Amino acid sequence: MSEGFAEIWRMGLRSRGFVIGGVITLLFVALAAVALVWTPYPVEEIVVARRFQGISSAHWLGTDQFGRDLVSLLMAGAVNSVAVAIVAVGLGVGIGVPLGAIAAARQGWLDEILMRANDFAFAFPALLSAVMITALAGPGAINSIIAIGIFNIPVFARLTRGAALVVWKREFILAARVAGKGPVRISIEHILPNISSVLIVQVTIQFALAILAEAGLSYLGLGTQPPQPSWGKMLNEAQTLMFLAPQLAIFPGLAIALTVLGLNLFGDGLRDVLDPRLRRER
Amino acid sequence: MALLSIENLCVELEGPEGTYRLLDEVNLLLNKGQCLGLVGESGCGKSMTALAIMGLLPQGMRAHGSILVDGEDLLRAEEERLCQLRGRKMAMVFQEPMTALNPVVPIGRQVGEGLRLHLGLTRHESETRATQSLARVGLPVERFPLGLFPHQLSGGQRQRVVIAMALACGPDILVADEPTTALDVTVQAQILDLLAEIIDEFDMGLVLITHDLGVVAETTDTMAVMYAGRVVEDGPTDEVFRRMAHPYTRGLFAAMPSHSSDGAATRTPLSTIPGRVPDALSRPAGCPFVTRCGFATDVCHQSVPQMEALGHRHGAACFNIARGEVDQ
Amino acid sequence: MTLFLVKRLIMLVATLLVAAVVVFSVLEILPGDPALVMLGVSAQPDTLAALRAEMGLDQPAWLRFFQWVGGLVTGELGRSYTYDVPVSELIVERVVVSLPLAVMALTLSTVIAIPLGVIAASRHNKPLDIALTGAAQFGIAIPNFWFAILLILLFSVTLQWVPAGGFAGWDAGFWPAVQSLLLPAFALALPQAAILTRVTRSSVLEVLQEDFVRTARAKGLSRNAALWRHAVRNALIPVITILGLQFSFLLAGTIIIENVFYLPGLGRLLFQAIAQRDLIVVKDLVVLLAGSVVLVNFLVDVGYAVLDPRLRSGGGHV
Repeated sequence: MSEGFAEIWRMGLRSRGFVIGGVITLLFVALAAVALVWTPYPVEEIVVARRFQGISSAHWLGTDQFGRDLVSLLMAGAVNSVAVAIVAVGLGVGIGVPLGAIAAARQGWLDEILMRANDFAFAFPALLSAVMITALAGPGAINSIIAIGIFNIPVFARLTRGAALVVWKREFILAARVAGKGPVRISIEHILPNISSVLIVQVTIQFALAILAEAGLSYLGLGTQPPQPSWGKMLNEAQTLMFLAPQLAIFPGLAIALTVLGLNLFGDGLRDVLDPRLRRER
Repeated sequence: MALLSIENLCVELEGPEGTYRLLDEVNLLLNKGQCLGLVGESGCGKSMTALAIMGLLPQGMRAHGSILVDGEDLLRAEEERLCQLRGRKMAMVFQEPMTALNPVVPIGRQVGEGLRLHLGLTRHESETRATQSLARVGLPVERFPLGLFPHQLSGGQRQRVVIAMALACGPDILVADEPTTALDVTVQAQILDLLAEIIDEFDMGLVLITHDLGVVAETTDTMAVMYAGRVVEDGPTDEVFRRMAHPYTRGLFAAMPSHSSDGAATRTPLSTIPGRVPDALSRPAGCPFVTRCGFATDVCHQSVPQMEALGHRHGAACFNIARGEVDQ
Repeated sequence: MTLFLVKRLIMLVATLLVAAVVVFSVLEILPGDPALVMLGVSAQPDTLAALRAEMGLDQPAWLRFFQWVGGLVTGELGRSYTYDVPVSELIVERVVVSLPLAVMALTLSTVIAIPLGVIAASRHNKPLDIALTGAAQFGIAIPNFWFAILLILLFSVTLQWVPAGGFAGWDAGFWPAVQSLLLPAFALALPQAAILTRVTRSSVLEVLQEDFVRTARAKGLSRNAALWRHAVRNALIPVITILGLQFSFLLAGTIIIENVFYLPGLGRLLFQAIAQRDLIVVKDLVVLLAGSVVLVNFLVDVGYAVLDPRLRSGGGHV
């Protein structure tokens, strides 16, 4: 297993996207991790006297309308984005993968229902439904996580089912069945390890999408609520101050774009490394 | 002057682990109204030769030597000039009629496209000529309107469309790369007959690529046997069949199912040539066939045999021609 | 072909019905009594009951569902609680903003992306291709509302070429109206164009490997002629699917973008209706939006048939 990991690592270093994307992603995760224990200035510290400051050695990216340090806010925002994305994608994986695995193992009516529900979910704009859910259930971080997570379920269910069906047809599965193993055990012991690379790649892509969705919901005021900083919310506030302090509208967006870019590059690179055959599918 | 004359053609591909030589010093000659058969196992460089004649080698491949068509060297021609020659001077019939035609374009337009391009015909004129061309290959417009799409035709019919397309502008050279391999046995003979008729009628030269020695014997005037990117034996077809000199040619012949007079395959077991064609990187230092040859001697391992004249225009590249003949 | 379209039509109706059921049930389950919202928490119980009766809220859910669906079919969309006008009137008023916006965005992204994708593919692994692919990666990563803000910063705040938001209205003339939709359309189009460029590129690259492209070259067509006349049309078949999917993303995008630019469109109406618990408007709008998504996907299937003759005639040999 560690040998396989070394091989992936060696091949990955040859892919430009893998390296650049990996570095950016790591950087943001590291920033978020640091922000958990330390930020240059306390995020809640409101000092009206130093508001709308430009870039300086004390405040690398300046301050906002309440005199809060922008670097600190962005770091805290990274925590928020990463946390929401982890939980939302985790929800999608945690429910979607078992559903897809069961559908592939059992076939029949269950499979049929699951796939029709999937078709329906795909025909419907996810963001529209997320807006509906958060607006009706009340705005807030938890509800936005649920809303984003719900739309990750069909993605992973469909992917798992498709990939698992291919593995189920392989010979070593037949051998396992002859050996008397049940579908659940086969799914866990043989199917999942064989489709894990596909799933990992999809996780990075969904992670990027979740960060974008969270930013959108927060921008609309439906996601993370103040005073907890979030990139989307920061952009919303900056928009009304655009004439006064245009830089406030630049950096949070840049943070979102860079994170998503890093994750996408990393995901594409990882896909090329893990399974070159998958390249053609997108 | 020969219609097509290939001299010392080499094709190389720059790979991560060195240069692959896909064609090595290939020499071929084709005269008007004649058919040249290229035979060999898959991977021997037959199709690569065909693509080189068309100037359509895949990107990244380099060719040197010369390919003279009516005295003009294609390897030194500009891409623009090649576009003028393709379809007009030399045309090609491909192996897979299922995929060689554009699925979303009607057959009439596919046949007429070259006419409009090369002869500057109007849409109407090109349709008239396309109709004639299709009729010539056995697809009369009454039953096969120009508006048909490829998927509405059978494999044999599609191959006829491909031939009509190649014929449209009256080329001097027709390159047919395994034109019957993908077709039903019954259709194969029809397509080969059609090709032979057309060569006679239009006084063209045909390069027929095949792995089937039977087809070579029936259809071609001259032949060349290729192995691992090299021509190992060539000459007039009847001459080569009478005195097969290279062990590989004889191996191919022995591997061919022989047919009795009523057409049924006889029961004698087929012999096969042991081993497989070495790939471009792992070719032996000496004769490329040495790893599979039953007559190999020390010299075969050390140096590459050159073509040696055996009779009137008949030649083979082997150190042991005499011994091989004794054993036959 | 006819059979194929009839099947699709049945699917279309079925999907709409499912959408109606889902929306209706979601709104049933979620908390929030519209009558209570309208009258405020201090409302008298009997006034509340009277309003509930007037709005039909005292009837069983299944009956209200059928009344609602019946209304949808006959065009009786009901009346908005908050605006106190027929929902149909509200929708017509907003559609004239959202539909031109979506059409403009879709046109922009198609017109930009397809040529770029084809060009990138034709220069496979050359500097231009690498630059375009990189730009597309950026385009996908940039959130469209941030791009919208950047556009406002540049064109409205700095250059002052176009207004920063709001809609001039079609009464103000064609050009002013289009002008106020220009930036929003660009903002909506960017991520879609980026995705479309990538899809077009990979699709063209795949088709360029096909035998019939080589056949076209053997006929004497130049590399470019073979690309545009033979490869592109085949490559567009999968691109059409993505175009259909993009329409639904565009719709979702309008919710945010219309908010960024303060445009009185359907997205903003939906957003406000949800916030104000104007449930009848929410229900009607969601079904309308779902309907247009399904309709567009139906049109995509028709588009397939136009591009791909294998679908048009039932096949079979002559």
